[in-house]
Amino acid sequence: MNILRQIFAVTGIGLRSLPQRLWESLVIVVGTGCVVSVLLSMLSIIEGMHRAAARVGDPHNAIVVQRNIIFENASNIPRSAAGIIANAPGIAKAKDGSSISDAVLIAYVPALLRKNGIKSNITLRSFGAKGAMLQQDFHLVAGRMFQPGKHELIAGAVANSQFTGVGLGDKVILPDGEWPIVGIFNTGGLLDGALIGDTGTLMPAIRHKSFNSVLVRLDSPAAFASFRAALTTNPSLSVDVMRMSDWLAKGSAGFNAYFHAVVYGVAAILGLGALFGCFNSMYTAVESRSREIATLRALGYRGFPIALSVLLEGAVLSIAGALIGAGVSWALYDGVMSGFGSDVFFLAVTPPMVAIGLAWAIALAVLGGVLPSLQAARGAVSEALRAK
Amino acid sequence: MSYRSANGGLGVLKYLPLIWAALRRKPVRTTFTFLSVTVAFTLFGLMIGLGATMDLVEKKAHPDRVWTISRFDQNSIPVTMARQIAKLPGVKDASIMSYVQGYVGDPKNRSGLIMLDDAYGRIFSDWPPTPAQWDMVRHDRRAIIMSRKLATQFHKKVGDTFTLISETPRADGGKAWEFRIATIGEDAPELSGGYIIGNYDYYDKSLPLADQGKMNEVDLQVADPAQAAAIAQQIEKLFANSGNPVQSTPENVIAASNYGGADINAIARKIALAGLAMILFLTASVIAKSVRERLAEFATLKTLGFSDTGVTVLVMAEAALPCLAGAVCGVVIAALLSQILPGILPPNFAIPMPTFSLEVLAWAMLSACGVALASTVLPILRLRRLDIAAALSGRT
Repeated sequence: MNILRQIFAVTGIGLRSLPQRLWESLVIVVGTGCVVSVLLSMLSIIEGMHRAAARVGDPHNAIVVQRNIIFENASNIPRSAAGIIANAPGIAKAKDGSSISDAVLIAYVPALLRKNGIKSNITLRSFGAKGAMLQQDFHLVAGRMFQPGKHELIAGAVANSQFTGVGLGDKVILPDGEWPIVGIFNTGGLLDGALIGDTGTLMPAIRHKSFNSVLVRLDSPAAFASFRAALTTNPSLSVDVMRMSDWLAKGSAGFNAYFHAVVYGVAAILGLGALFGCFNSMYTAVESRSREIATLRALGYRGFPIALSVLLEGAVLSIAGALIGAGVSWALYDGVMSGFGSDVFFLAVTPPMVAIGLAWAIALAVLGGVLPSLQAARGAVSEALRAK
Repeated sequence: MSYRSANGGLGVLKYLPLIWAALRRKPVRTTFTFLSVTVAFTLFGLMIGLGATMDLVEKKAHPDRVWTISRFDQNSIPVTMARQIAKLPGVKDASIMSYVQGYVGDPKNRSGLIMLDDAYGRIFSDWPPTPAQWDMVRHDRRAIIMSRKLATQFHKKVGDTFTLISETPRADGGKAWEFRIATIGEDAPELSGGYIIGNYDYYDKSLPLADQGKMNEVDLQVADPAQAAAIAQQIEKLFANSGNPVQSTPENVIAASNYGGADINAIARKIALAGLAMILFLTASVIAKSVRERLAEFATLKTLGFSDTGVTVLVMAEAALPCLAGAVCGVVIAALLSQILPGILPPNFAIPMPTFSLEVLAWAMLSACGVALASTVLPILRLRRLDIAAALSGRT
């Protein structure tokens, strides 16, 4: 008899008898389901952050910060340096011939988190004349833009859902008085959890003497090299020049590496537990089918298709579990807003992540099924036939 | 009846041989159930232990301490502000703190020191450095206390020189800040990144004249913790219209807002629950099968006069034993892991290590009992309704 047909036949018999082994089967389904849902739920945080950062990381945009600085808020770019940077080669020009660059201020305003009333900080950034041009998809969804010279701010679309007191019409207290929020903006990116004010108006108000960074739009992504060379070889500047995407990746690289380690560490421990459970179930399944398997072998079925069918049965169950687990984490977390302080992002459960979950499930089934399947294929036929 | 009255006093003890026999009947099954439960409780222990660390950091936060930093600029508070604050009614002590940030050797190896005055050691007396260690920094301007974790990371020992390359300009125009490691301090969960403590005066006098006399932070101690929030507000108001507005927050409020307000505890609990759900199905399936295979045996026990309660206890104990053993082993493994992991993980690993107490073990045992109880409900119901005659003749 053809081996392939044997495999199909034996697997079919096994799968049809699954309802009789409901609990053992559920152990595999629930085990892999738990592993996959925990894995995907945690990965959804990384994916969400990655997506939010990717939206800001336009290859045309570059950032200039003080040399050897990791966080933008710790960086200082003096006014004089900002002028030199704006005139560097490679920067795209607006219609009036001025370069599209924007010196940015960053400050933090104390605010209460909406979910638990805990005091946290909301990020306050500044826009100069070209600020909005440098933010992909920036548009106002309510109210109007702030007017330079007036004490006015605009708030990101999700800032209000993260913090109390930053909705349209609310007043934010800065050193020299109350600044009303006159508009709500949306970019779909990380910026949406922040407040924005006019650079020239904000600088004296928050008593900054220098900028934090300069954002520029490049002529073309290829112009980066010459732009960077012009600034890093200028002896009067002490700056790092980075593509926006690299800068964002660098900022979260440390966190991402740790978080990846934690996610896979947790999933691996949980996976080991599921593996033992899976082994247990497969072993029980083989045991309870020992007479049936022995009969098949007495009829001339070979060991290989029988062993493979045991593995396939485990794989079917664990794939079902993985799909359920992925479904659970998708239903619970996909699109849910999350954030660390002002950095707001949306958790995402994506098809590639589901593929990772399936790979884990199959690995679990194979590792857990190998020994029981060998037992099914080997054991003495005569003894198994006589067993109770 | 006579059997029960004669042996009732022995309680569960008389069941032990029966339970043991049941567990040994299928050694592979018992072993793998135990292993799976152990692994699940290792994870449970790590997660609940992590939650315990978070709680500990919050609990250890001193409500009588208030941290005051500049509201908008990082290094602009004049040191005279510390003296002004120290004189406020209700304030016991105020300290001066600045930090130097930079790298060691390679720009990728970021590090930083906190430069402190004498008052800091008094206010933060609960920190790991001993009074003798604080004294070393006070008496030797270039001396630093380095935490064991960072000393291991930088391969440093007492007496070594520690050089930080910083963008903070020195009066001599250089970027290299040199210190001498006077002593190694112990680590603490609330200082999970490690610490290096130096002498503020040395730092201040090394700066260009124009930059001297400034600090990053004033930490103060109030006489009455109940007044901390009010005094923090008073300080914010006092400097609101000065050139240096500040943000003043009691330490317990800061501790609660760590990790951007992300509720690590809730995430950890959900993961622990997923582990429990997994083993619940496993134990349930194993015990259901075990009972199904031995219906005749249970019928015999009932015939011999075992009460429903007796049989219930028997089944529950059979489920509970591997669960409880696994819970204890799992928590022990988790505790060992949290001892070993810091040595394996990169030294600046951002997530704190779990702490273990009897409370964590108690939660594990309680959850194990819960799992055992829940997994035996169906088999027990079945046994209570057991038709003894049918079971004895093998007709069920």
